[in-house]
Amino acid sequence: MAETAEIKKGAVIRHSNHLYVVKDFKFVNPGKGVAFTKTKMKDIAAGKTIEITYKSGENVDIVEVYKKTMQYLYKGIGTYSFMDKETYETVEISEDVIADEGKYLKEGLDVIVSTHEENPVAIQLPKKVIYAVKVAPPAVKGDTASGNVTKEIELDNGLSIHAPIFVKEGDQIIVNTETGEYGGRSTDN
Amino acid sequence: MSQIFHIQKQKNILSLRADIVRAIREFFWEKGFLEVEVPLIVRHPGQEPNLSPMEVIVKDERNKEYQGYLHTSPEYALKKVLAAGYTNVFSLGKCFRNNESFGGDHNPEFTMLEWYRKEVDFHALMDDCEKMYIHIEKKVHKKIKEVSWKRLHMRDLWKQYIGVNLDMYQTTEAIFALCKQKGYTVDEKETYEAMFYRIFLNEIEPKIRETPFLIIHHYPKQMASLARISKEDPLYAERFELYIDGVEIANAFSELTDKEEQKQRLKKEQQQRKEEQKETYEVDNDFIDAVGQLPACAGIALGVDRLVQHYTSCKNIDDVLVLPMSKIFN
Repeated sequence: MAETAEIKKGAVIRHSNHLYVVKDFKFVNPGKGVAFTKTKMKDIAAGKTIEITYKSGENVDIVEVYKKTMQYLYKGIGTYSFMDKETYETVEISEDVIADEGKYLKEGLDVIVSTHEENPVAIQLPKKVIYAVKVAPPAVKGDTASGNVTKEIELDNGLSIHAPIFVKEGDQIIVNTETGEYGGRSTDN
Repeated sequence: MSQIFHIQKQKNILSLRADIVRAIREFFWEKGFLEVEVPLIVRHPGQEPNLSPMEVIVKDERNKEYQGYLHTSPEYALKKVLAAGYTNVFSLGKCFRNNESFGGDHNPEFTMLEWYRKEVDFHALMDDCEKMYIHIEKKVHKKIKEVSWKRLHMRDLWKQYIGVNLDMYQTTEAIFALCKQKGYTVDEKETYEAMFYRIFLNEIEPKIRETPFLIIHHYPKQMASLARISKEDPLYAERFELYIDGVEIANAFSELTDKEEQKQRLKKEQQQRKEEQKETYEVDNDFIDAVGQLPACAGIALGVDRLVQHYTSCKNIDDVLVLPMSKIFN
C-alpha cells in the first residue's frame, strides 16, 4: 500500500474495485482543519471521470504500471501513433488517454508510456521540450512602453504559447510541459 | 530568464493585485480600523495539527542563538493587541507554512488579511466580507457587479445536498458509523474533523461550486477550533467559512475568550501532534493570558492571493505572485 504523497499524474489507483488513472490532483491544507489530497481520476474501463478526496497520509492502493519509452510518430484519426523503442513496433494510443498532453507532442519526441495489462493508460512528457518558432509577429517599436511585454507565437508542432517580444521566427525555444510556459531560448541555457 | 519573463507576463495581473490590496486597506481605514504590523518572527508558532512552521535561527550581537519561527498566521499577535485594549484592528501581510505545494491552491509564502471587531459576533464579519467585496469590485472594475450571496447553516447544507441530519452526527462514534455506512475506509482513531471532511469534501464541496458566493456558518462544536459555542444552537460553534467559486477563501470565529478552555484546546492539539510524530511546541502563555483578557470579539483570516485569483480569473496561485516558490526553486 502506498500513501497519498505518492499520488501523481498518470498513477493507477484501485478504488472500490475499479481501476482509475489520476488525471489531476492537489494537496489541500487548511490552517484550521485536516489535510486532504483531492484527485480527478478516470475509470480505465468505463471512461468516466470522478473526483475523490483522500485524507493526506491515508493508504491508497496504487497499482504497478509498466513503463516503456516510445517515440512519437504522427497523429491519426482519434489516435496518436508511437514507436516502441525496444521492439520497433507501432503502438496506437487513443486521444482519450493522451488528452491535453497531445498539444506538446512533436515528431521524434520520446515519452514514457505507462501500461497496465498491456493497455497504455498514461503518457509522461519530458519536463522541458525544445521547439522551433514557426510564426512570431515582429516586435513593434513602443511595445514595451505601451505595456505589451509578451506576444503569442506558434511553434513547429502547431502549439501556441506566450513568449517575450524579442523571440523571432526560427529561434529554438524551451517550453515547460507542466505549465505550458516559455522557458527561455535553448541557446540561453 | 524565466523569472523576469514571469514578472513581465503577469504585469497586468500584478498591477490589479496592487489595486486590490490598496482597496482592502482603504476599506478598513474608512471604517476606523487600525492596521497593525505584527512580527513575522515568533518564538511560539501556532500548533494546528496539520501545519508545519518554518524554523529560523535568530542570533544576537554576541552570536547567541535563539530558536524562532516564521508565523503561520498573525492570530496570536493580534489577540495580544486586542487584549491590550485596542479596538478594531487588521493586519495584511505575509505568512509562511512548510510542507505546502508549490503552486495550485498553495504557496509556502502567502498573504493573509486578518481582522477583528470588538463587541460583535461573527455575523458582523459576514457583513464585512460582503461589503468589502463590493468595495473592491467598485475600485478595481469601476462598476458594481450584481452578486448574490448565500448564507447557509452547515446543518441545512448537509440536509440539502446529502439528506443527512447533522444534529444526529455530533460525536466521533456517530460520524464514524456514518462514514462506514457510506463505504469510506476509515480508522476509528481518526478525529471527528477528519471523518467530517471525508464526507464534506467528497459529497458536498463539489456541489457547492454551483453557488459562487457562499458563507457556510455554524460548524459542529467538535470543530470549534478557536470559536465559541453558540448559545442558541449549542451543538454548533460560531464559525463560518467563505467560499468563492467553490474555493475556501476565509475562516471566521466569534472568538473564544475562555482562558482555561483555550489552554485545553492547545494541549489537545499538542497531544495530536505528538501522536502524529510531528514537532511539538511550547504553549505561548502570553497568548493564553491574552485570550483571558479578550473582550467579546469576532475575528477572520482571509487568503488575499485566492481573492486576487478570483478577481483576475487565475486558476493557479503562481499567476498572482511576483515570484512563486516554483519559480524560485525550480
